[in-house]
Amino acid sequence: MSTRRQRLPGELAFTVLLLALSLFMVWQAYEISGFSSITSAGVFPLAATATMVVAMLRILVPALRAPAEPAAAGESRTEHFVRRLVPGALVLFTLATAAYMFALERIGFVASSYAFLVVSMFLLGSRRLGLNLVVSAVALAVIYVVFRTVFEVVLPTGSLLQGVLK
Amino acid sequence: MTAALDYFLMSWLDPHLMFLTAAGTFAGIYIGAIPGLSVTMAVSILISFTFKWDMNSALAVISGIYLGGVYGGSRSAILLNIPGAPSAVATGMDGYPLAKRGEAGAAIGLTTVVSVFGGFIGILALAAAAPLVSELALKFAPRDYLLLAMWGILLVGSLSGDSLAKGIFAGAIGVLIGMVGLDPMTAEPRFTFGTVTLTAGISYIAAMIGFFGVAEVLVQLHELHIKAVRQDVSKILPSFGLIRKYLPLATRTSALGVVVGALPGAGGDIAALMAYDHAKRTVKNPSRPFGQGAYEGLVAPESANNAAVGGAYIPMLTLGIPGDAVTAVIIGAMYIHGLKPGPMLMIETPHLFWFQVGSLALANIFLLIFGLTGIRIFAKIVEAPKPILLPLILVLSAVGAYAINNNPADVYWMLGFGVFGYFLKMYGFQVGPVILGIILGPLMDRSFRQAMISAGEDPVQFAGEFLTSPLSAAILAALVLSMASQSSWWRKLRGKRDMHEPLARELEDSASAGNV
Repeated sequence: MSTRRQRLPGELAFTVLLLALSLFMVWQAYEISGFSSITSAGVFPLAATATMVVAMLRILVPALRAPAEPAAAGESRTEHFVRRLVPGALVLFTLATAAYMFALERIGFVASSYAFLVVSMFLLGSRRLGLNLVVSAVALAVIYVVFRTVFEVVLPTGSLLQGVLK
Repeated sequence: MTAALDYFLMSWLDPHLMFLTAAGTFAGIYIGAIPGLSVTMAVSILISFTFKWDMNSALAVISGIYLGGVYGGSRSAILLNIPGAPSAVATGMDGYPLAKRGEAGAAIGLTTVVSVFGGFIGILALAAAAPLVSELALKFAPRDYLLLAMWGILLVGSLSGDSLAKGIFAGAIGVLIGMVGLDPMTAEPRFTFGTVTLTAGISYIAAMIGFFGVAEVLVQLHELHIKAVRQDVSKILPSFGLIRKYLPLATRTSALGVVVGALPGAGGDIAALMAYDHAKRTVKNPSRPFGQGAYEGLVAPESANNAAVGGAYIPMLTLGIPGDAVTAVIIGAMYIHGLKPGPMLMIETPHLFWFQVGSLALANIFLLIFGLTGIRIFAKIVEAPKPILLPLILVLSAVGAYAINNNPADVYWMLGFGVFGYFLKMYGFQVGPVILGIILGPLMDRSFRQAMISAGEDPVQFAGEFLTSPLSAAILAALVLSMASQSSWWRKLRGKRDMHEPLARELEDSASAGNV
């Protein structure tokens, strides 16, 4: 069925990577308890990981046969991969998310979320800075109140500014 | 019986629960309608917010969101030609042409009524069938659970995504994620790589939010700017004659929806496409040719996908096997509240079952009310710009992953699964089977070992029992049949009257459009 699809840039590498991961996991599954008994802790993991390997081989063959999606004129393979899979906005947004998670523990929910919202809205192309600042503040206020009152969720307070910013 | 009625009416009589059901339904309609927000995503995030609530409150909100969300997708399909949810892919095929003719109001009205109708059929089926199924389920041996769980993963893997192998891989990796940690039977570490943090396992909530929330947000980044088209939505209430005319078709497709929903793994999206296909094949004189604004093309998928909701609850509540991705997430919610969905649930906590049926029925009534009102504001909200929407979803996801254990590590897991899920989705894998695998993996492992032990650890005896036990043989036959009907030789055998090929293509399109 998948022959209809064109192969995206990076698809082969991803497939091979998953195959390698599957093989590694088979070995890990074997390490659990080997073939000591048919009902040991490792048998089902072995079955699952072996299934991963077989399925991955079945995916690799049509992926090899599928025609590669043609790159745009004058575009290198890397540029093609970047455009289709990891465009700049996506990478920056993911990095902003990682930074946000790191900050969440340190400066607390309110400050880190506000910074993240304003920055990522800008990154994604909402260039009206004033609007972003206001929307982020209002949305965050709503989220904060709803979380604390309706859901009674404990929000990270941050280790650095404990008591100053909640 | 009176006790059952009491529990059924609980959410109808308690203002607090009634409010929660209404709020859930209302929110569900918008969550389903806004492209980029999905029911699975919303329920995954909500689980961690509601875990401090009592179970009834949480279930009331979730029922509303589920029913509302399955319906809500149809509105954006009709008004914007963008299915807000995968279950509305078929609705847009005739809904959008209708809107272009200036009949958006009528289309929404009819859709609402048949959705509610389908919803009731599904709920009726749930109320009638679940007690019987759970009695039958008491006879199920561990090997039957093993078969059912495998069937569920295979079904969801084969009907969505672009190849069965990809579906199976996704399911297997989910099983793997579900088995990380100490083996519950022997306490041997599995896939922990010698670390202490992994011995407690990977939080499945973090995985769910990662796969359904973060990964979805990342996929959506590819389509930040979609222009919406304004539609005329003046006349909404459909005439009674119009409804009566389509009642027979709606009844048939609702029944189809219930059955598809009740199959482990297959949910509203598949039910809707099959119902559309059914209408196309059986309706001789549609109001207009299909694809150009036939009312039949709205009635069939919309009654079926809401009927599938009730259907999906049947295996979830009676067997602990999710009927689709949303019920897989709901099972996760029930675990957190200390409940074990399965045959004993109906016996030990019948009130929970009747409460669930009651809150679904109530949500369905709210669906009718909200569905026929407030369409004007609706268009504005649905057009919320994604550069503002997506960061907000991420904040909710992060807090959701954090809140469940107050563990910052879960947030990183979520991001990791999100990025992994993004690449899986981009390369044509589905994430639904992963979640099914995570939920069902431990059940399959336990069932397999119990079945093997009861067969005297003799593989030949073990395999033989699948054929000698009538129940196992029946499930096995159903599994093999449903898989065979997907294979290429079966398609050749049936010639041109092929149904799953366009179905698979539709789902693939919807997946590549990032709406799953």
